[in-house]
Amino acid sequence: MSASQSAVRSRAEAVQVSRTFDWMILFTLFFAVLGGYHIHYMLTGGDWDFWSDWKDRRLWVTVAPIVSITFPAAVQSCLWWRYRLPFGAVVSVLALLLGEWINRYLNFWGWTYFPVNFCFPSNLIPGAIILDVVLMLSGSMTLTAIVGGLAYGLIFYPGNWPIIAPLHVPVEYNGMMMTLADLQGYHYVRTGTPEYIRMVEKGTLRTFGKDVAPVSAFFSGFVCIIIYFLWHFFGKWFSKTDFIEGDI
Amino acid sequence: MKIIKNRVAKLSFVALLTTLSAAMLHAPTASAHGEKSQAAFMRMRTIHWFDLNWSKDEVAVNETMTISGKFHVFAGWPETVDKPEVSFLNIGIPGPVFIRAGSWIGGQLVPRSVSLELGETYEFKVLLKARRPGDWHIHTMMNVEGGGPIIGPGKWVTITGSMGDFVNNITTLTGETINLETYGLDNIYFWHAFWYALGLAWLAFWIRRPLFVPRHIAITSGKADSLISGTDKKIGIGFAVGTIAIVATSMGMTAEKYPVTTPLQAGLMRGIQSLEMPETTVSVKVEDATYRVPGRAMQMTLTITNDGDAPVRLGEFMTASVRFLDSDVAEDETGYPDDLLAEEGLTVSDNSPLAPGETRTVEVTASDAAWEVYRLADLIYDPDSRFAGLLFFYNEEGDRQMVQVDAPLIPSFI
Ligand SMILES: [Cu+2]
Repeated sequence: MSASQSAVRSRAEAVQVSRTFDWMILFTLFFAVLGGYHIHYMLTGGDWDFWSDWKDRRLWVTVAPIVSITFPAAVQSCLWWRYRLPFGAVVSVLALLLGEWINRYLNFWGWTYFPVNFCFPSNLIPGAIILDVVLMLSGSMTLTAIVGGLAYGLIFYPGNWPIIAPLHVPVEYNGMMMTLADLQGYHYVRTGTPEYIRMVEKGTLRTFGKDVAPVSAFFSGFVCIIIYFLWHFFGKWFSKTDFIEGDI
Repeated sequence: MKIIKNRVAKLSFVALLTTLSAAMLHAPTASAHGEKSQAAFMRMRTIHWFDLNWSKDEVAVNETMTISGKFHVFAGWPETVDKPEVSFLNIGIPGPVFIRAGSWIGGQLVPRSVSLELGETYEFKVLLKARRPGDWHIHTMMNVEGGGPIIGPGKWVTITGSMGDFVNNITTLTGETINLETYGLDNIYFWHAFWYALGLAWLAFWIRRPLFVPRHIAITSGKADSLISGTDKKIGIGFAVGTIAIVATSMGMTAEKYPVTTPLQAGLMRGIQSLEMPETTVSVKVEDATYRVPGRAMQMTLTITNDGDAPVRLGEFMTASVRFLDSDVAEDETGYPDDLLAEEGLTVSDNSPLAPGETRTVEVTASDAAWEVYRLADLIYDPDSRFAGLLFFYNEEGDRQMVQVDAPLIPSFI
């Protein structure tokens, strides 16, 4: 195939080829993001996402949004600046959640027999939708970082509460009060995860009484803003065309 | 064109492989057989498990069994391991084949981490309810923060029946009885499916139109603004407002359905009751100790003084869960795991009763294949080549005294 020759012979064929490209790129993007995002999220959010007895009002609420806004920011930057496509966050989170569910279902439940109601992943989709819509409406990275990033952190806990609330019902067990989630962690033995490495309900937010979740969520939202900026630039750098020869 | 297509196809394949390997990357630890690979000094000088009892060899699904006994927290705890100030009484099983229905130290339920004191002995019990059929090796286990898991002896237990029959009924403080095995599953699946569908809808809204090539061309030719239409914006606003509305509504519904919820419970438990051990009247001085590599035997010269009022004999030397017995004096009646029991592994040069007030120097040999099998001999390659263990002395009535020894060990290669 010489460079002077056109690859397609008619407009109809061009349209068809372009569409084929769309699907192939989308497929590749989806699974490449899935792989990278999944590893990143497991290494940084890890146990907070794995176990119901780590999903607390302080640290889970803070950590999960901060470490999960990364790939959405980067993919958004690539898809928006090059193609004006505002689905970078949603496609990333859909890919991640597919990977997480495969992992939890096949490995945690299928292979090791931890009940799914103990090791289900966190829900990140509400925040991703907001992030994409803010980017589409504003077309501005700064606004998306500030408004979208903050919203991403804020909506995380309420977006997950309907899923975890049933597990926070208290129970009296052999003379001690605990939540059903705590009991799951006690019952379903994890040899490699002793109780003391569980980082929950730690921190200095004691002055806020029992309303720590909103405070943690705000804090998380603020950090999300910074992380969004950072990863947006990663995405921009990554989607440069300097790596490829020729004009694009 | 074809070349590019092939390239994209190849790339997609690579991506798919990455995905699969990423998904496989993390599986929670399923094995519980780390005991042999743990440094010998860790097993000898940290926690000594003794008087152990596995209540059953075979249990049916939904039935319970207990593992009970005592553990001694060694006073000569190694420098290199963090002190057991934050410890968790665990159980070494390959994943949740049993559920831990209860665990107690000194009669106190210990679902959380505890603080243990050096030199103390504690009584413990773990109640297990059988969940998954199979043959499982069940170890006692203590996790120490900064020290890792300290694994005790393991014994094989068979679970019979079918996991499908397993139930884990719990009554909550709100008066509901639930099966924790499947509780809330429908709710979890429902919300995840619901939000996933909403995410897919947003994606579908965009990808049904021509994507990358034409949009890229439009941007490079300065027509970027035409790519997001008024309708797109309206639908986008709809998605955002809808998302917030659904989150708010579902929060409200949840608050109504579960008015009583509490935060996760955490925090260290202090003041765990240790066991009052009978006072020791026997004192032991280790004159020297050598490990003979070819003979798989440890030899020690001990000077024993009996300050009590009854004659005593040395019946057992226990280290790293391996028990060396002098069958003339002591016998195991608890069904201790065979591989860790040397019923005639202890030889004492003169083991006639040591009268009150008497002092005697004896040669004690502890020999068994377990030194090799359990890699205790690796001790000689440890940075701090010491050995440690418990000696048990018996009087005529069978009363027992426990004395700990802790001394340097010299290897002998010939
Ligand atoms: Cu084992």
